[in-house]
Amino acid sequence: MGRRYGLAGPWVLRGVDLGLPRRSLVRVEGANGTGKSTLLRLLAGIDAPTEGRIVGRRPRTAYVPERFPAALPFTAAGYLVHLGRIHGLRRTEAAGRAQEWLSRFGAAEHARTPLAELSKGTSQKVAVAQALLAEPELLVLDEAWTGLDTAARGELDRAVTESVAAGSTVVFVDHDPRRLAGAADTALRVEGTGLVMASPAPAGASAGPRVRIEVAGPAGTKLPAGLPGAPVRAAAGDGALTLTVASAHSDALLGALLTARPPWHIRSLSAVPGDHDEAA
Amino acid sequence: MTALLRYQAALLLRSQRWLAPVLLYVAFLGVGVRSGQPVLDSLGYSAAGLLPVTAWIVQVCVTQEPPAARTVVAAAAGGRPRAHLAALLAASGCAGLLGAAATAVVLLISEPASTDHRVEVPLPSAGLAGLLAAACCVLLGAAVGALCTRPLLHRRGWSLVATVLAALLALVTGGSPAKYAVTGLVTGSHTGTVHVPVLPLLGAVAVTTAAAALACRLTSVRG
Repeated sequence: MGRRYGLAGPWVLRGVDLGLPRRSLVRVEGANGTGKSTLLRLLAGIDAPTEGRIVGRRPRTAYVPERFPAALPFTAAGYLVHLGRIHGLRRTEAAGRAQEWLSRFGAAEHARTPLAELSKGTSQKVAVAQALLAEPELLVLDEAWTGLDTAARGELDRAVTESVAAGSTVVFVDHDPRRLAGAADTALRVEGTGLVMASPAPAGASAGPRVRIEVAGPAGTKLPAGLPGAPVRAAAGDGALTLTVASAHSDALLGALLTARPPWHIRSLSAVPGDHDEAA
Repeated sequence: MTALLRYQAALLLRSQRWLAPVLLYVAFLGVGVRSGQPVLDSLGYSAAGLLPVTAWIVQVCVTQEPPAARTVVAAAAGGRPRAHLAALLAASGCAGLLGAAATAVVLLISEPASTDHRVEVPLPSAGLAGLLAAACCVLLGAAVGALCTRPLLHRRGWSLVATVLAALLALVTGGSPAKYAVTGLVTGSHTGTVHVPVLPLLGAVAVTTAAAALACRLTSVRG
């Protein structure tokens, strides 16, 4: 597909051919002004391609823009309930999830604040919450981390890995190359007007803090395939394994192990300091 | 679609940007409609005023969100066209309620007679004709509003000039369903005959559907 602005404007993207599988995390890279946001808006179904088309059933989609200065006459909770209902939730369900996500991002006390009075960071939390409360099949994040505080960034990392583990497709752009490193299944780079594969950061190579989990499974069972965060494995004696994963993925990984059929037993958990880098 | 309509209507009501067009309409009625005037004359006058007011309300509705909020809603709603259609419908619905209220007031305070007070005009059929004429004007106003703002015209100045001109033309050009409906009421008032504008209403529905379809389709290309 291709996209340009205006009837005779230059092509921003052309000849882009891309398939997005379920349960995958896709990173889009590129310099400023190369068309990353244009690509994300096409993928989110907000804009239509000028040539070519997007095929397949349109998944339930949520989009988080980079800056969300929503000068709308609603309170944060009121806005989230409206968006939840547009996403197809019932009113009580939407209100419950709005409260839940605002608390997760540490913005619960702003639920009754008018959107126009929120700080830049808290507005961004509302933008992220509207996307996550819908449990979308396709989540598109255009530098959604920008403006969030450290705790909220970590929470968003965890929320993204959880939704990928739950079967969603997440496409994101972020200027921090370490963002969700090791977790992205595909990395794409916008070059010129086209899209090329970029090498995703290898698993375990992230410099951030990681968590080592010692697990034991029932005799003869293999680790479930497609574990969140693509953990690095090592044998730990008497049938146990240690799995090392970026700490953003640890909750999703534990969840996947405990809910596997048959479930795995967690023996111990330990934090691995961030300066240690196995890939070096 | 219900959730989108509720969202757009809530935005319109809470933003208070509906106040200016509604106050203008109330002032317009205050100038031209008096208690005891012939009913068909007053109905024609109140219907004609609805056309520019509806165009204004439509433009308020489709430009009231910041662009970032619009992209968020478009993704959730399954594309910009659906979100845009919801804005057009919410605005037309509000204008329709305004028109129905105005028609009811006119029916209550006017004299059920022809202009020369000789022929009696039956109120039920006058009411029906008034409602249909108001519907014609609301629909054409919505078409004017939809065609004279984003996604077709993004600059506010051009948008205003185009809206004023198009609304005027829609009221005075021969063949316009709104002109036909309003003229039907006013000329009918001379002889005391009620012309129920069914054909103009069908024409207005067709024109507005085409205008709304064009505007909605263009939103995913021009924003």
